[in-house]
Amino acid sequence: MVPIEYYLWLSATLFSIGVLGVLYRRNAIVIFMCIELMLNAVNLVMVAFSNYLNDPAGQVFVFFIMAVAAAEVAVGLAILVMTFRNTKSTDINMLNRLKW
Amino acid sequence: MVNINVLITLIPLLPLLGFLIIALNVHKISHKKSSYLACGTILFSFILSITVFTHLLSLPADQRVLSITLVSWIQTSGFSADIAFLIDPLSSIMLLIITGVGFLIHVYSIGYMHDDAGYSRFFSYLNLFVFFMLLLVMGANYLLMFVGWEGVGLCSYLLIGFWFKNHDYNKAANKAFIMNRIGDLGLLLGVILIFINFGSIDYQTVFTNPSEVEVTTLTWITVLLFIGAMGKSAQIPLYTWLPDAMAGPTPVSALIHAATMVTAGVYMVARNNVLYALSPFTLQLILITGLATALFAATIALVQNDIKKVLAYSTVSQLGLMFVALGLGAFSSGIFHMATHAFFKALLFLGAGSVIHALRGEQDIRKMGGLKKLLPVTYITFFVAVLAISGIPPFAGFFSKDEILAHAFAYNPFVWGVALIASLLTVFYMFRLFYLTFYGTARDEKQTMDHIHDAPKSMAIPLIVLAVLSITGGFMNTPEVLLGSSWLQKFLSPVFASASGIEIHHLSHTTEYVLMALVVALTLVVIGIVYVQYVKKGHVPAGEGRLTGIQKVLYHKYYIDEFYDIIIVKPLFWISKTGDTIVEALAIDGIVNSMGRLVTGSSNVLRKLQTGSIGFYIFIMVIGIIMILTLTTLTGVAGQ
Amino acid sequence: MNALLIVCGLGFISLVAEIINLKKGLHIAIVLGLVVAVAAVIGDWNTSATFFNNMLIFDPFSVAFTCLIIVVGIFWFCLTSPFFIGESHQTDRTALIIFTMVGGIMMVSFHNMAILFLGIEILSISLYVLAGSHKESFFSNEAAFKYFIMGSFATGFLLMGIALVYGATGSFDTSEITMHIEGHKAGLPGFFYVGILLMLVGLAFKISVVPFHFWAPDVYAGSPTMITAFMSTVVKIAAVGAFYKIFGLCFFSVQMSVLPIIQGIIILTLLVANIIAVYQNNVKRMLAYSSIAHVGYMLLGFISGSVKFEGILFFYLASYATTSLIAFGILYAIENAKGSTSIDAVKGLYNQNPFAATCMTIALLSLAGIPPFAGFFSKYLIFGSAIEADHIMLVIVAVVTSLVGVYYYFKPIIYMFSPAQASDKLYLSAVQKAFLGMLTAAALLLGLLPEWIITILS
Repeated sequence: MVPIEYYLWLSATLFSIGVLGVLYRRNAIVIFMCIELMLNAVNLVMVAFSNYLNDPAGQVFVFFIMAVAAAEVAVGLAILVMTFRNTKSTDINMLNRLKW
Repeated sequence: MVNINVLITLIPLLPLLGFLIIALNVHKISHKKSSYLACGTILFSFILSITVFTHLLSLPADQRVLSITLVSWIQTSGFSADIAFLIDPLSSIMLLIITGVGFLIHVYSIGYMHDDAGYSRFFSYLNLFVFFMLLLVMGANYLLMFVGWEGVGLCSYLLIGFWFKNHDYNKAANKAFIMNRIGDLGLLLGVILIFINFGSIDYQTVFTNPSEVEVTTLTWITVLLFIGAMGKSAQIPLYTWLPDAMAGPTPVSALIHAATMVTAGVYMVARNNVLYALSPFTLQLILITGLATALFAATIALVQNDIKKVLAYSTVSQLGLMFVALGLGAFSSGIFHMATHAFFKALLFLGAGSVIHALRGEQDIRKMGGLKKLLPVTYITFFVAVLAISGIPPFAGFFSKDEILAHAFAYNPFVWGVALIASLLTVFYMFRLFYLTFYGTARDEKQTMDHIHDAPKSMAIPLIVLAVLSITGGFMNTPEVLLGSSWLQKFLSPVFASASGIEIHHLSHTTEYVLMALVVALTLVVIGIVYVQYVKKGHVPAGEGRLTGIQKVLYHKYYIDEFYDIIIVKPLFWISKTGDTIVEALAIDGIVNSMGRLVTGSSNVLRKLQTGSIGFYIFIMVIGIIMILTLTTLTGVAGQ
Repeated sequence: MNALLIVCGLGFISLVAEIINLKKGLHIAIVLGLVVAVAAVIGDWNTSATFFNNMLIFDPFSVAFTCLIIVVGIFWFCLTSPFFIGESHQTDRTALIIFTMVGGIMMVSFHNMAILFLGIEILSISLYVLAGSHKESFFSNEAAFKYFIMGSFATGFLLMGIALVYGATGSFDTSEITMHIEGHKAGLPGFFYVGILLMLVGLAFKISVVPFHFWAPDVYAGSPTMITAFMSTVVKIAAVGAFYKIFGLCFFSVQMSVLPIIQGIIILTLLVANIIAVYQNNVKRMLAYSSIAHVGYMLLGFISGSVKFEGILFFYLASYATTSLIAFGILYAIENAKGSTSIDAVKGLYNQNPFAATCMTIALLSLAGIPPFAGFFSKYLIFGSAIEADHIMLVIVAVVTSLVGVYYYFKPIIYMFSPAQASDKLYLSAVQKAFLGMLTAAALLLGLLPEWIITILS
């Protein structure tokens, strides 16, 4: 069996890529995707632990995460569309009127 | 027979009720209604106070303590405070003064404020003030006293800045507020120390076994409490706010800054006499501070030309005299002087108000003069007050001042000498003020003089009542040498019983007679000098530019305001200025005091962190996460 | 439990109301339904029961917090009728608000990490939409967008934390996690601690403490005012409740490993939030910073670990929610009348509506911690327990910053009592007046009877 550390490192890497993407990219849609990447890294950890611990609860949790993430992205895209109507842009740097 | 507890509870509640009704309907309520409501509630409180007072008198002398607990306020482990009232001889006397004088000043305000736009607002503040003041003197524990203490400070702030359209007045209000905060900090620390050492903040618990606490600690407690009193009662070095506080309407000066609020410090020290009796150091400190203030303020008053400023410095000086009495351990003399002072100083202020009212806002005595014939009621009542404050027998001030001077002489002739000089200076500036205002030729514009009218009824009646009180008030404590019975002293003695440990020296009757005669003779001589100077020669003080030497120093109040400005305000300004020049440019001048500038400065810098950019926010979040993870790993906190 | 079901049901009713066109009575029906829910909560008072195979627990703590959430919700609904009536999407907004409350109730009554996650997400997703409910307003858009991006980013950390804790302890059930930690204290793997820290980050974002607070001022300022009120009351209660349930109860035995970090967070939060608030010229934004600062005080109580902390926290949140509802309620009325929430808009409020000015003054004084109002005692209790726990440095910081607080809370008060520009009167409906009056009375009563509230939970 593949040791659990491998899974952890892999998902840590995926998670970090996601975080870096959120930090680095300016396009809102890419940022959404990076957040999804972070969530999928979590899913990977969950499934790995579930298998490792012989406990199905972790895999059920993954379903929760997937369902919620879908809902979240639906709302997120709706907000993005609404914003796009006003700003004609998906660049998050356009949104900086609320400050100080 | 109504339960006495209900009556006691009603005393503070009525003004509160008046305040709430007026404040909530401030625009709808007619002027008439609001003034009737405000005066009515205070009058009713006054009647209740008399009832409570007579009830107290009907009890045997050693049982004259009523304490009632309304609500258990806070109950945590080791700390409890109730909303409870304590009525004993001391607080009953305070109640009578506050509600009695308060009522007269309310009535006076009906006439004085009659055409002011903020009429109802004014009365609501006045009622609120009376409520807090009553809370202050009736509270049975330090916390309740502190609530009242802060409350009167707030009302004073609101009323000084009552005419908020004037920028200077707002500044004066802020100054009073800030200076008082310094004092309040001392008071608060003192109360905390009391709680730590006595485990309670209830007067009765604290006063039962004061000697269990070490003398050093007691000294700290009393000094801190006294710092609170310094702020509230305008003693050196925290006195400069009081003269500036004269920006408020004159009835406010009379009620808050002469008769009641500023005496809260005197009341508080007297209330804690048990603690003060055990810390001779603090008593010395009080004595010296009081003496210095009495003399210092009196010299400043000599050359002031604003009628209210003169009275303000006179108040500071008289408060100093009260503290001298407290410092000598003669607590009842201090309270006695406080009572008579409430009468004649309120009268002086109201009289001054009447003059200002007649001259349409003129406050400079150089422009007055010749008002004797034009304002007869004001003239006579003002004259009574001047005689009372100067200590001419048999007016009220004579008895109370004489008592303090006698105690001072018995303690140390030097103290007596300084106090005597201070009171002779008082005679000087009071008569100077009096002559310049009412005698000589009219110096104001002719137009004003033609339309001049004496005080209307609502203003005249309080003046007359106060004048009667200023004449007769002294008889409540006529000393035995003058064939009296020292009634007040005996009445108050249960409260100050445990403080009798302090040795109060007694003079032989002959000495007392000689001293009295000497003081009165000197007073008359001073009056003569003033008369020659200002009436016979018709001297009018010169303008600011022509003053020389000591006069100039006095006129500028020893440059104390400038001094504070240089050693405290300026350096703070400098720090914040060099700290960030942008702050200077953007800070809202005037409202923000110098400490505020420091905070606003850093605020302005810090808020720039909130850049509005999502990328930046997330960046900081990630930095935070990395910091947390690294620090935890490095310090190895995890896994312990 | 019944209360949760009732509130859920109300959410569905308001969704269905759109279809069968029952908009008119909806608002009143919702309020009545919430009152029934409160009755149901009170029926559960002082009982303890678990539901759905230990997924949810309704112990005294959860019941009390549920009750607080619903009661605050009722007041919120009554103060905001103009926000719903006469505007589009009335039923959607109502449903979203109700579902936010459902999420909040789940967050204070979870017994399983899955419910915590679901609760947080139900609450957050509804809030993302609500923050953007003024679709045409650029600010509202921006608030929704920022909140969404940063919220889902933080959720990622929370989930990673949950996953790692699951891996180390083998369960999502909070009491099983606690038991496992107690049993294997020495042998917990390193990633378990990473998991705890990531959960701390995720929840710190939800309760908006420095340096994870950046979203809060912008989102609070950009959202429609009453949604801001909702965020700073109901949502705050739920988030702080969840934080306590995780770090005060579930991870109690490894608390030592996060305490130093929480201490740092407290200092930063108190300093940054209070100091920045000084410079705000928009009352709404000032209140946002004030709400961040208040969480700092609550955390100070948390690390003091007083036995009475549950009671103190409940009292703190109750008094905070009461007073900030008053402040936001009046601010909302002002915004409707004058179109702005800047400090100039409150100028002369006393002349325009003395009642509103009085309520607002009491609310601000209470927030500033001036006796005898509720806010004073909540701070007093927190400081007291912190001194008992020897956190002297933190108490000094807290006292100094609350003095700074006095300054910025007094600024609107001074403005309110300044002379008015000759402008129109501020109108409050009878319902608003009645409920503002009740809240103000509550702020006073809580100040008079702190002990009574605290003993509810101890």
